[in-house]
Amino acid sequence: MSRIRAFTMPKWGIEMTEGTIAEWMVKEGDSFKRGDTLCLIETAKITNEVEAEYDATVRRIVVAGGEDAEPVGALLAVFDDGSHSDADIAAFVEGFKPAEGGLAQGAGKAKKEPEPEPTIAAPAEVEKRRIKIDTNRPISPEALRLAEEEGVDIAAIEGSGRNGRITHQDVVRALRGPASPRLRGTLAVEEDDLAVLASPLARRIAAMNGIALAGVTGTGARGRISKADVIALMPEPGGGAGVGMPEFRPGENRPEVIPFDRVRKVVAQRLSAAKQEIPHFYLRTSARVDALLEMRKTANLVLGCKASVNDWLVKASAMALTRHPEVNVQVHGQEIHRFPQADVSIAVASPKGLVTPVVRQANRMRIDQLAAETRRLIDKAQGKGLSMEDMEGGTFSVSNLGMFGIENFDAIINPPQGAILAVGTAARVPVETEGGIAFETRISFTLSVDHRAIDGAAGAQFLATLKDLIENPEGMFA
Amino acid sequence: MQLNREALTRAYRQMKLIREFEERLHEEIQTGEIAGFTHLYCGQEAVAVGVCEHLSERDKIVSTHRGHGHCLAKGCDVEGMMKEIWGSQEGLCNGKGGSMHIADIDKGMLGANGIVGAGAPIAVGAALSNKIDGPDENGRLAVSIAFSGDGACNQGTTFEAMNLAVVTKAPAIFVFENNHYSEHTGDAYAVGTSNDIASRAEAFGMKVWRASGVDFFSVYDCMREVLEFVRTPGNGPAAVEFDTERFFGHFEGDPQRYRGKGELDRLRAERDCIKIFRASVTGAKLLEDADLDAIDANALAAIEKAVEESRKAPRPTAENVLENVYISY
Amino acid sequence: MAKLMYRDAIRNTIFQEMQRDERVVVLGEDVVGGMGTAGGPEAIGGIWSTSVGLYEAFGPDRVIDTPISESAIMGAAGGLALAGKRPVAEIMFADFLGVCMDQLWNQIAKFRYMFGGKSICPAVIRMPAGAGYNAAAQHSQMISQFVTNMPGLKVVMPATPADACGLLRQAIRDDDPVVFLEHKFLYAMSGEVPDDPDYCIPFGHARLARAGEDVTIVASGMMVGYAETAADDLAHDGIGCDVIDLRTTSPLDEEAILDSVEVTGRLVIVDEAPPRCNLATDIAALVAGKAFASLKAPVEMVTAPHTPVPFARELEGAYLPSPVKVAAAVRKTLAY
Repeated sequence: MSRIRAFTMPKWGIEMTEGTIAEWMVKEGDSFKRGDTLCLIETAKITNEVEAEYDATVRRIVVAGGEDAEPVGALLAVFDDGSHSDADIAAFVEGFKPAEGGLAQGAGKAKKEPEPEPTIAAPAEVEKRRIKIDTNRPISPEALRLAEEEGVDIAAIEGSGRNGRITHQDVVRALRGPASPRLRGTLAVEEDDLAVLASPLARRIAAMNGIALAGVTGTGARGRISKADVIALMPEPGGGAGVGMPEFRPGENRPEVIPFDRVRKVVAQRLSAAKQEIPHFYLRTSARVDALLEMRKTANLVLGCKASVNDWLVKASAMALTRHPEVNVQVHGQEIHRFPQADVSIAVASPKGLVTPVVRQANRMRIDQLAAETRRLIDKAQGKGLSMEDMEGGTFSVSNLGMFGIENFDAIINPPQGAILAVGTAARVPVETEGGIAFETRISFTLSVDHRAIDGAAGAQFLATLKDLIENPEGMFA
Repeated sequence: MQLNREALTRAYRQMKLIREFEERLHEEIQTGEIAGFTHLYCGQEAVAVGVCEHLSERDKIVSTHRGHGHCLAKGCDVEGMMKEIWGSQEGLCNGKGGSMHIADIDKGMLGANGIVGAGAPIAVGAALSNKIDGPDENGRLAVSIAFSGDGACNQGTTFEAMNLAVVTKAPAIFVFENNHYSEHTGDAYAVGTSNDIASRAEAFGMKVWRASGVDFFSVYDCMREVLEFVRTPGNGPAAVEFDTERFFGHFEGDPQRYRGKGELDRLRAERDCIKIFRASVTGAKLLEDADLDAIDANALAAIEKAVEESRKAPRPTAENVLENVYISY
Repeated sequence: MAKLMYRDAIRNTIFQEMQRDERVVVLGEDVVGGMGTAGGPEAIGGIWSTSVGLYEAFGPDRVIDTPISESAIMGAAGGLALAGKRPVAEIMFADFLGVCMDQLWNQIAKFRYMFGGKSICPAVIRMPAGAGYNAAAQHSQMISQFVTNMPGLKVVMPATPADACGLLRQAIRDDDPVVFLEHKFLYAMSGEVPDDPDYCIPFGHARLARAGEDVTIVASGMMVGYAETAADDLAHDGIGCDVIDLRTTSPLDEEAILDSVEVTGRLVIVDEAPPRCNLATDIAALVAGKAFASLKAPVEMVTAPHTPVPFARELEGAYLPSPVKVAAAVRKTLAY
């Protein structure tokens, strides 16, 4: 026997305080499935369909359609699996208390009450609202407090403490999200010279500034030349300043001149042309990927492959393209070339810059075959380099910067293709469920479309199919 | 007895100096002026002196926690030692070592040692060095002596060292001073070979000697034979066990509840190496009581002066903590 | 320059120093090998082949083959050094430090201090250390954390044949006692070694093996190679690493570490020893204390786990740090 569940006024966005049931799509006694539309709810800003998140039966509709606005958290209906008695349901309605701290608290079932007289509250004492986390995982009290206050999903955290205990720093790390530091890269190692003993940094600074170290008296440990000894030999940054910090004087900022190599020349020419000539427009959406991530794990085990999330996205794009051939196109002068198979270009960072090898007929490949092909192309790109053959053609591109923590971005179309999909990072986001908050993983997508060849609706339909495939990934094995 | 008057005088003075040094420390320690652990050599003077009177500075010794006697016998400076035990900056080890770590490398004294049994391997190393250096113009090798007690004879390091010395034919001498107490335990219990340490050394394949350790002449004559053997290139090591007595506890402050009734009085009366020496030399008319009394007074004065100087000597400062860990770092 | 294996660099350096200085002597178990057997002296030449030909050239007085008696070897090295020789003692496996700890820790390391600076003890204790041969818990350990902790000792961990040569020569000529931790797994490593018969690398002078501005990786011994491999892989992704080869863990080149962390703000320390009170924790404390403001992310430590060294290949592989683990730690500190 499953529990009796309350269906309450959802909270969409931080500003929503109340909503109105516009219309119920179900009535008492109806059974519904996950994904069925339950009702329409109006807010000051939008009217939205509310989909069922689980299978159940409607036992009681507490607030009928078309009535006055109800505060967020107010009880709208009661669902169960049909096994409870009417008396149980009545008792549940009677005993229902909105979530603590919610707007519906104290509001009862009825109308808005007059605002209480504002009282002068004692300063501070403003307890941070906490979302209670029930867990039997080892977690330090401070870490738990922080996670509850900040609504951090601890399931995604790997504890770094003893026996996997989650520490305060682990939660801080999770809150920070993946950083994308500005990388400064590698340097040449200055050859060590034991005849003139200098610390590695001293030697580097000396080399950068053309200072000869022979004959310099070191003040470091064991008479070694330190950073400070070399800096002392650098030209004085103008007198005057006196004590304290030396006056800042920018030195010469000489650029390192790197001529375009062959690859970069091609990339520059093609992208400039594309950005100038193609009338881009952009469509954004996001998809829940939890099911996909699960499926990926299972599939990798079953098929013995190492398909990445991106491989799955390429696969889904390819399948969506074959269902929407109006997007699977190249533009050549005044002609649109529409292709039956999806040759998907994938953007790969290589030592030579951005390259876009093509996964041919990706729609026809099983995921393990696709993963093997992308692995081959990536290895080749990062190794001895791709051939023209590897990069020619392509009917669509996928560019993924999710691994760098990019939320979403707009990509430039790779001509003569008609569209490119830009993929952002997978983010754990909280979503409200009845009575609490759950977390799901979402990825956001931006489709850049060539408006000369593809209309908005066609692009939107393609995205809808793509989203459906991603959220219901078993469809990719159909 | 082949010693001349001068040699006898020197031997007696060395023994008396050790005796007065230790008796005085026994008094001073009770006032609380001296810090740390001190183990006194009183009663065993004939061994240290009887052995070291044969040695030159080329010969090395490695001592024990009960090391004051060996140090003095090998020629360490009385005042330097006293100051060290006082913890002075002017001590032989600048106040860094104290009673258990007195050393004077130039004199061939490679250190007293706080770890029972640790000295023997070090002595073998020094013996190997002597072997590399080879014999002198008279064809004799310098030797290296490991002083050990009936406690150290039960340590594995001592066994390892004896075997290594035999295997490498190192000119090492293992001098076992059996004073019958390893700390607070009797040799009848702790030494499994029924009070016989020399037989152990013999089992390792070396030549051994046994002699009384309370009679200076017995020690001295025995060591002449031992050294004759070990200084001869190619012979390798030897061991000798001296039967001796400890007049004080294991350490200063030891209540000695393990002693028999009247034991200490009996030892002091019958087994005191200094009394035995006096009786021998005066009986044989080699030295007069007056000569010996003068030496006694002289030794006492030397100790008195050493204590006075130690009291006045500069103390180390906090900065000195960091010195002498390395030559360069 | 000549191309030599790590083991040959060690053997040749000992040979040259024995030729140069009569006070240099070698002792240890099977350093001659075959003594008292039908095969005769030099039937083996040391189980690591680091003393081949020494006996023939210098004879039994200066190449002392000892019984299996680590305490006697260590103690004799101390005695030889106090008596004016320059012993190079070999403890066949660093793990055997356990049986002769007293002679190193209470004796050799402390002589000079206990004797008020009036003695020198120029002993070199060579100890092949580290895992990689599936030799299990008593023949595979990295012991750098113990000996680095001992005041009075210098501790050397060469990572290349050239460093094995230059650091060993310095160790033999140094007047302080030196523990020379050769990594067993590096013996067959080949590399260019300077021909200069006086080539010495001063102690406390770290080597910068790779230069980069994003993350500092500090390593020693075999871990240096792992760090270099990781740094080279990361360079493909545009991530630049300073790889600091400590060369000596005592004295420690604090300056090289702090200078680098000031630039990168991110530190990964690789240590083959178990994680408690080891070099990694020591350096982490150093950086926390002296470069706190420079840090942009928590210090990452890649170490063996708090377990003995296991036997099976899979287990030993899991026990040891690896280039993959180092690269993951670098990415983790960058992702903070």
